[in-house]
Amino acid sequence: MSAPEHRSGAEYTQRKVVRNDTPPPTRKPSSGASAQNLGFTARLIAWLGHHQLVAVETLLKLLAKPAASLLTWLVIAIALTLPGGLWMAVSNLEQLSGSVQQSGRMSVYLKPELSVTAATTLKQRIDQLPGVAKTSLVDADAALAQFRENTGLADVLDMLDGNPLPAVILVEPPLDLSRDALLALQQKLADLAGVESVELDLAWLERLNSLLALAQRIVLILGILLALAILLVVGNTIRLAIAARVDEIRVVKLVGGTNAYVRRPFLYTGLWYGMVGGVLSWILLIICWAVLHGPVAELASLYGSGFELQPLSASAALTLLLVGMGLGWFGAWWSVSRHLDEIEP
Amino acid sequence: MSMVRFEQVSKRYGAAGRDALNGVSFELDRGELAFLTGHSGAGKSTLLKLMMMMERPTRGQLFVDDQNLNKLRASQVPYHRRKVGVVFQNHQLLFDRSVYDNVALPLQIAGYSPVDCARRVRAALDSVGLLQLERRNPIELSGGEQQRVGIARAVVNKPPLLLADEPTGNLDPELSAEIMDLFVRFQQVGVTVLIATHDIALIERMGKRRLILDHGRMMGDTHVSA
Ligand SMILES: Nc1ncnc2c1ncn2[C@@H]1O[C@H](COP(=O)(O)OP(=O)(O)O)[C@@H](O)[C@H]1O
Ligand SMILES: [Mg+2]
Repeated sequence: MSAPEHRSGAEYTQRKVVRNDTPPPTRKPSSGASAQNLGFTARLIAWLGHHQLVAVETLLKLLAKPAASLLTWLVIAIALTLPGGLWMAVSNLEQLSGSVQQSGRMSVYLKPELSVTAATTLKQRIDQLPGVAKTSLVDADAALAQFRENTGLADVLDMLDGNPLPAVILVEPPLDLSRDALLALQQKLADLAGVESVELDLAWLERLNSLLALAQRIVLILGILLALAILLVVGNTIRLAIAARVDEIRVVKLVGGTNAYVRRPFLYTGLWYGMVGGVLSWILLIICWAVLHGPVAELASLYGSGFELQPLSASAALTLLLVGMGLGWFGAWWSVSRHLDEIEP
Repeated sequence: MSMVRFEQVSKRYGAAGRDALNGVSFELDRGELAFLTGHSGAGKSTLLKLMMMMERPTRGQLFVDDQNLNKLRASQVPYHRRKVGVVFQNHQLLFDRSVYDNVALPLQIAGYSPVDCARRVRAALDSVGLLQLERRNPIELSGGEQQRVGIARAVVNKPPLLLADEPTGNLDPELSAEIMDLFVRFQQVGVTVLIATHDIALIERMGKRRLILDHGRMMGDTHVSA
């Protein structure tokens, strides 16, 4: 008999014992190693080969019959798009608040009875204070003119007798002034004689920031809930796929298929569901951006801001895809570990 | 050393109920062919399932290829099954793929290269005389042909042990005799074969060893020690 070199000693011995008690083979002479005696490298190659085969096969199967998986894909896509879109919105707002954060501009409202000369003197005093970079005085008349011009409420103003607006000194602290220093400066300005009140833009900024933090929390909760929804949807789809292949699974286990071998196609299927869902969600977000970014720019310009809605960054898109694939894989794994091991020949 | 050894093996399904097998002991030498007979419900299928580790014994020990099956971990079961070919009465073929792919399944699972795989599948199909049908779907084949596809799949990776549970159950006498001849041919190339059957007429003609089960007990063994 011909024994190829790569056959291991153990099998060779075993065959030899067999041949000793039995007549020599008439057909089917043994050649090559039996399965359990394939070398490590050969097994590694086989393992990688099977991964590749299963990955390609399951993907082609899904793409060949898109109608069958469309529902699952869309559910995943929408479940990813909702938190993804909100995330996009929140990070845009964050950027906006970041650019505003730089200025801790203060408006110092003067008492109405203060004369223009007194106001000018006050402005000069404020100029001397530490932590003040620049000031400008908007006297009552100028304030009125500005208001008239900006709001178009001239008619309403004409009905009033006299000027309801106080004079304002706009105070710009240096950009790097800390929040505490800003608050201290605000207090100091408010204590000056002739000052009615001091408004620091920090207040609405803080409100915006805490709103943003809240929004992020909400996106997180929504994201977790929708991630669970994705797990359920993929898990259920895989459960049905397993049910449709019970016979095959039994036979595969009967002829020596490991649990990993049986599991593999289902895990890849889950992975591809997540990937297609991620890509669809990315497309949906691009569409959302295309629809919204014109009106947003218009709105911003009405407020005198050059703000533009930023599209999803490449890294965010990649994250979306990876999260989708991870959830798809995990949903499949969850389903498989619940249903597959029960199927025994 | 023997290929199969049962030592006082008992099997009971569920907590209550009768023993499906009760204190069964026997040995099969390497390269031996034996028949397992007994009335319906005697425990023939149970005995074969224990060897496939489709069931675990309630008591006693059994060895296959010198491996104590009680000591095998669940993760090792697939590798054990690769050493044992099985043929069932309801041949358990997959009708969503060709004859070739049915027979190739054990090789794909074990990780053979496609070239190796093709060579072995052809050899197995040739040995059961079905080479010309490899592209067909098994659903188009006759009962006897389907049974032979099942046999080809059981032997394709050359397991040292071949088990068959009522392999001729649905076949007429002539086809049954052909199937039994196939098993004898595998024995001749060194495979240990155990066939459960109730077709007494057929096996008496063949003059092979008979193990007789009755209500879960080993009641007879025509084994003649050399
Ligand atoms: N899965 C099972 N659950 C409960 N009882 C079973 C099961 N399989 C077999 N039995 C019982 O075990 C006994 C032996 O059955 P079996 O091994 O199938 O006998 P045979 O194959 O000789 O007809 C019978 O009484 C049968 O009812
Ligand atoms: Mg039976």
